Amino acid sequence: MTGRVIVITSGKGGVGKTTTNANIGTALARAGNKVVMIDTDLGLRNLDLLLGLENRIVYTIVDVVEERCKLKQALVKDKKNPNLCLLAAAQTRDKTAVTEEQLKDICDKLKEDFDFILVDCPAGIEQGFQNAVAGATEAIVVTTPEMSAVRDADRIIGLLEAKEEIKSYKLLLNRVRPNLIKSNDMMSVEDVVEILSAELIGIIPEDTGIITSTNKGEPIVNDEKSLAGMAYRNVAQRIMGNDVPFLNLEEDNNIISKVKKFFSNLVGKEK
Amino acid sequence: MGENIFTELYNRVLSLFGQNESKEENAKDVACNRLRVVLMQDRTNLTPELLQRMRKELVELLSKYVEMDKEALELNFEQEGEQMALMLSIPVLRAKEESEIEAALKAEDEVDEDDENESEEEVEETEEQSSEDDDSEEKVSEDEDSKEEADSPDNDNETTEPENSEEQQ
Repeated sequence: MTGRVIVITSGKGGVGKTTTNANIGTALARAGNKVVMIDTDLGLRNLDLLLGLENRIVYTIVDVVEERCKLKQALVKDKKNPNLCLLAAAQTRDKTAVTEEQLKDICDKLKEDFDFILVDCPAGIEQGFQNAVAGATEAIVVTTPEMSAVRDADRIIGLLEAKEEIKSYKLLLNRVRPNLIKSNDMMSVEDVVEILSAELIGIIPEDTGIITSTNKGEPIVNDEKSLAGMAYRNVAQRIMGNDVPFLNLEEDNNIISKVKKFFSNLVGKEK
Repeated sequence: MGENIFTELYNRVLSLFGQNESKEENAKDVACNRLRVVLMQDRTNLTPELLQRMRKELVELLSKYVEMDKEALELNFEQEGEQMALMLSIPVLRAKEESEIEAALKAEDEVDEDDENESEEEVEETEEQSSEDDDSEEKVSEDEDSKEEADSPDNDNETTEPENSEEQQ
């Protein structure tokens, strides 16, 4: 088996890298793939929390690198899905505890047993970023329709393009708010795609369900009713090479637009 | 048809509350425009001062051949895939007489005759130095590179763009 190593990165912090990682990983595993997620945010680990696995971590990636345990011993199995594993970051060490070479080595070993290796990248463009990218051949750049996030994404794209090992990168637009886009208060999906001129792999609507799902340690893709959950499941399908249309977020719950739609339907029927 | 009536009504009601969509410039456009300018600087390593200078020099150069609205000159870097293009749009006020152009060129040739050789040498020097790993030199050569890159699409636009902008006016 030769798995695909995908780094999930953004430049800016707080745009939803770790949430994206947890959800895409879970969605890929639900679709029958063997998935391992690597948290490379040494000293600021959070992926374990989003997956609800914080109490099960015995060994971390630093223990693997410093040979206190075997790689397989450090993989924490997900509560629900046996196809899903986490290699946690060490909380008490800094970014220098693991080198680019070591991370690449770990990715290469994991490729033999897993279909997908998702690398959760720390914010910033320093060594932490360089480490996370080292073993990857694909990248997903997470951004939101906000100026600072788009600017940082542009910087990250520039750095990714300079890396020979990265064969492709795709854009994931997170926290999209259709109502604000409609009122021209927020950049639209098209605006961001045009400005960054990158290929889109997903549009995730802003969803308060993300907060509750994070609090419960339960990725939102497991919630069949959630729109964000569905959007993440679609991203997983696209990663697997399936052609899934983007969700139509225009159909919002704005009362005025509903009334408008009702009337225009009415007029349409009368004709 | 029905849709239009209701949209209009909807907009009118909104405008009563000061939320009319057609207000001067919306937040989205401001964001897009600011972002384009910032990314242009990020991508090219051109500081606002250098951009201003480039703009000034372009105006000087082009003014020899056509009379144009210097204030309305628009300069934009556009990313198309891996290629970056410099888009230049200038409203042309008037085509210059052949004699005017010749006079302008002649005047310049006279001034430049002595300088030309010197400046050519200078360019060669910086190019040689940029092969060494020196930060300050690298900056100079990068700036030159981006100007050189910009040259070809720039030339295309000179012929096409001014016509368009004239039509707009």
